[in-house]
Amino acid sequence: MSLMNILLNATEGNNAANYFPIGVQLIFAIGFIATMMIATHLLGPKRKTADKLENFASGIPTHGNARQPIAIKYFLVAILFVLFDVEVIFFYPYAVNFRALGWDGFWKVLMFVGFFVVGFTYIIKKGALTWED
Amino acid sequence: MNAIILSAVWGVIMMFSSILFKNKGAFKYIAAIGLIVLTVANIANTYGCDFFNINTHEMLRYTRFGLFFNTIAFLCTLIYVLLSGKEIEKHGNYVAEYYALIFFVLCGVSILTSFNNLLMLFLGIEILSIPLYILTGSDKRNLKGNEAALKYFLMGSFSTGLMLMGIALIYGGTGSFQIDVVRSATLFGTFSGISFLEVAGLLFMLVAMAFKVSAAPFHFWTPDVYDGAPTVFTSFMATVVKAAAFIAFIKLFEVRIADTSAVINWGMLLSLLIIATLLIGNITAVFQQSVKRMLAYSSIAQAGFMLFAVFSLNDFAKEGLILYAVAYSLATIGSFAILAKMKDITFEGFNGLAKSHPVLAATNTIFLLSLAGIPLTAGFFAKYYMLASVVKTGHYLWLVILGVLFAAVSVYYYFRVIQAMYFKEGDAQAEDVTPGFKIGLIIVAALIILVGIYPQVVLNWLYF
Repeated sequence: MSLMNILLNATEGNNAANYFPIGVQLIFAIGFIATMMIATHLLGPKRKTADKLENFASGIPTHGNARQPIAIKYFLVAILFVLFDVEVIFFYPYAVNFRALGWDGFWKVLMFVGFFVVGFTYIIKKGALTWED
Repeated sequence: MNAIILSAVWGVIMMFSSILFKNKGAFKYIAAIGLIVLTVANIANTYGCDFFNINTHEMLRYTRFGLFFNTIAFLCTLIYVLLSGKEIEKHGNYVAEYYALIFFVLCGVSILTSFNNLLMLFLGIEILSIPLYILTGSDKRNLKGNEAALKYFLMGSFSTGLMLMGIALIYGGTGSFQIDVVRSATLFGTFSGISFLEVAGLLFMLVAMAFKVSAAPFHFWTPDVYDGAPTVFTSFMATVVKAAAFIAFIKLFEVRIADTSAVINWGMLLSLLIIATLLIGNITAVFQQSVKRMLAYSSIAQAGFMLFAVFSLNDFAKEGLILYAVAYSLATIGSFAILAKMKDITFEGFNGLAKSHPVLAATNTIFLLSLAGIPLTAGFFAKYYMLASVVKTGHYLWLVILGVLFAAVSVYYYFRVIQAMYFKEGDAQAEDVTPGFKIGLIIVAALIILVGIYPQVVLNWLYF
């Protein structure tokens, strides 16, 4: 019953026993993965072919090296997409709390959208999204 | 709040001015107007006129000390922009964006001088650092600049990671992000007091902050970054930014050191940090061949002196830190402004500058004397206050003696430049030195001597 006691005591004070459940989970996670990997290696069939050593590219044959210069506009569009996509995420909490936040929240979100539009205008004016040179 | 909001807004204004104005020379004046607006708004804030009344839930707290440092930072940046604006224009087509980034750095500075919460500290450090990574690599075609930017970015991110780890541990240990946490017995059941987690977190914070102020043994990025970055931006990085990081450092540790001194010997830890910084900074600076790299190492040595303020944490230390920020920023901005005009930035490149450009040589002498801490210059009183603050604590007096010895070592490498300018034959060449630039240098030199004679002209504002 000593294990039970440790767990019960852990809820009361701030001591190392607090982390006991985390330790148990860690050991379980590592043990589970190790067991599974060893089991598959021992039980599974082994077919060694040269194809298996190829890079996996969605099933189509690979061609060329990936380490070659790519036009900066691809990166620009990609990173700008990520930026604006992440900003849109902030609308979800607002949408959930739309009624509770009232007009006060509305002005704040309007300010946020304002910054958003300012940034977007800057990008457009600077020509970051013009695809043809 | 004035400084934080207006600096961010003016950064955006600078961004859009790049669309509206095609003339490169205009941006310098827009930035100067912005800095004057910021200074005025910040002074208004100091005397109780806050334009934006936002409830930050005690995450930010405005003290006279922090607001006064804001004013100093804005005025130093104004001097910097007026003196080195021409050099910024030489670096590519994105002049307005560089100024915008400088304004964003100032936004980070104003958060760092008023944070009262570890999250705000983190936010301030990040807003301060990220524009600097870009400014370091602003010379895109320069391989050394690229190396410096990448190195700065990777090492900076790593130290930010350490800082976050420290913040997490402190939160775990105290249950609060506020820096002046009230330790309540009800928080963790029967437990109250200092927990192991909090002390470990503070050690992580110490490492991260030591990295940001480039104290040894966390200084390895400094020489490469300062050397690789364009000289104008090195000048900004080594002055306003470094002083602001010190303000954050002292703000964080003045609350926590007293609490935790029962568990950890902060005095010994910090004095080891100071000795290592002074030793590595001064000794390595002696062996440099390039003046720019020498100034980079000397800035490590100066950080060692500023660390005395974190060590002693009394009124003298705070006054001294303000004075050090003024003295060091003015002298370094001036010295780098001259360096940026030089054709050859090795010591030989300065040979005979007194013959070809007497004004540059004379003002540079004053800047270097101030950096070395010779009496009648601002640097003397800055170093004096730092050492006096340690004497006032009554412990570790040997640290003061070491400080004086290392100040004597620093005289050697600063005087090498003066010797090259006055006593060596050669034809030192400086590019496009305008009369306005010379007048600017003379004004900065005059300010240094003024503060060196009456340090109270700066310090009185801390109280009135």
